[in-house]
Amino acid sequence: MTATADRKVRSNREAGARAGGPVDSIDAAGLGRARAAGLVAPALVLVLAFLVVPAAWTVYLGVTDYRLTGIQAANPEFVGLDNFTAALADPDFRNSLWLTLLFVLGSAIVGQTVAGFALAWTLRTVPKLVRSVVETLVLLAWILPSSIVAFLWVAYLSGDGGTLNAMLQTSGTEWLLEHPMASIIVFNTWRGTAFSMLLFSAALGAVPPSQLESARLAGAGAFAQLRDVVLPHIRGHVLTNTLLISLWTFNDFSPYLLTAGGPNHASETLPVFIYNKALYGGQLGYGSAISFIMLLINLVIALFYVRLLRERR
Amino acid sequence: MNSSTRSARGALVTLVTWILVLIFFFPVLWMFLNGFKPESLASSINPSFIFKPVTEGYQLAMDRGMAGYLQNSLTAAVTSTIISVLLAIPAAYALSIRRVKNVQNSLSFFISTRFMPLAAIVLPLFMIFKTVGLLDNIYVLAIVYGAMNLPVTVWMMRSFLLEVPFEIIEAARVDGAGMFREIVRIVLPLVLPGVAAAALISFIFAWNEYFLALLLTSSAARTTPPFLGSFVDGRGQFLAVLSAAATIAALPVIIAGWVAQKQLVRGLSMGAIK
Repeated sequence: MTATADRKVRSNREAGARAGGPVDSIDAAGLGRARAAGLVAPALVLVLAFLVVPAAWTVYLGVTDYRLTGIQAANPEFVGLDNFTAALADPDFRNSLWLTLLFVLGSAIVGQTVAGFALAWTLRTVPKLVRSVVETLVLLAWILPSSIVAFLWVAYLSGDGGTLNAMLQTSGTEWLLEHPMASIIVFNTWRGTAFSMLLFSAALGAVPPSQLESARLAGAGAFAQLRDVVLPHIRGHVLTNTLLISLWTFNDFSPYLLTAGGPNHASETLPVFIYNKALYGGQLGYGSAISFIMLLINLVIALFYVRLLRERR
Repeated sequence: MNSSTRSARGALVTLVTWILVLIFFFPVLWMFLNGFKPESLASSINPSFIFKPVTEGYQLAMDRGMAGYLQNSLTAAVTSTIISVLLAIPAAYALSIRRVKNVQNSLSFFISTRFMPLAAIVLPLFMIFKTVGLLDNIYVLAIVYGAMNLPVTVWMMRSFLLEVPFEIIEAARVDGAGMFREIVRIVLPLVLPGVAAAALISFIFAWNEYFLALLLTSSAARTTPPFLGSFVDGRGQFLAVLSAAATIAALPVIIAGWVAQKQLVRGLSMGAIK
């Protein structure tokens, strides 16, 4: 095979891979539908059994009055959309939805994105060794188990002997009780910034330095450089990052470890709300209905993301 | 803009970055230091940086049965990693190198299950396992973790397999290697770094998982995260012992994360970002 033909084969395959288009032609060696399905089946079965079936069950539970204990635990009754109408009328649920929105906006879309980009932007020009040390240190916050980082923050923010109070000379301030939402937003920003930082680092590496240089020579300030040179290059990365961190933050259960949703529902984001209602309060049916609502919101964001991946390929 | 204001501004930006990094690192550093303090010093109101290190906290953590929880965590993390990697390799292979049209649709299915909130599946899992008496079983937890990590491992490996030059595989086919031999002898060695990264990520997720472990285990199969979580309280009387326990529990993920650092973003964006 000549080099040109060689390249042609490869580019054909890559074209197919990107477009996700006609793939039958690639299956030249004849794996066949049955064998291909056989290779995928074990993974599919496991995912079906432990992720999809439970999710479907959640949908079913959501239209019953199932409870953890009592008569409805043995004989749950079909209640139609009662749980959903109850949710819409439940001030606690609406409060929780609002807090979740605040949490996602404050800690993911603003906090993590801004801090992550700032770090990536600054680290671009520092020596390689310094950069990798900093990245590793920031990564620690993100990679440690949530129960560990939660404990660190509880100790840090504690009113009685908390380190933050000692540093700020604000002895006795119970941060988690007096400012619960602000606390979990700062906590989640701290925790999640590493992902945005690493992602933007990779993105900024793809911006041609020559373009930045010529923009600077043309007298563009830092802001203009960011807007006119950097942003067009990293638009896709910004979108990917925003979708992923929004989803993770939306589903994050860690606030439970800091405030358990309290005091008096003041920091009860949706996953915490479900836990408190379904397992603490025993209302499995109602909790499942809320889970279903969460599932729908996730699905919408996931559809966007799948679309994004398709376009990228 | 002249050069002196620019360098002054550069110095300011650098300073701000270092302060930011210090803020990020401080809680972890604090945990590490507190683990080596005697309890009275760790929970004292005045933070101290210079002290005589003791291992009292570590001994107390072990006295509380830490070793058993660590062992459960290790069993769950390793078993689930093996499950998800072993199942992901053939799936990713069929979805990248030997692609067949209809099977290809399962890709979107895999990716959408990645976005399943744990809160939405945990209640039925809890009820099913309760009914059949499989609560508090470490291998059941491991299988659930395996399923939880599969979407990520499949997608991640697929993104690596797509980069394997087609000619190499074609050459193997001309040699007459069967499918199994082709996977094990030719494809796998080429994507070994990808397999390793996927395994590390899946290990980290399973090791760190708290929500499912909290509900699906109680005593015999309890893993480290809920064990640590149960001691979290604001009063701080267990600060030294908890710090010591947390430091031990953090070590495996710190090592795994450090090794997999370069591949983390790729894995978590499911190949969207290289």
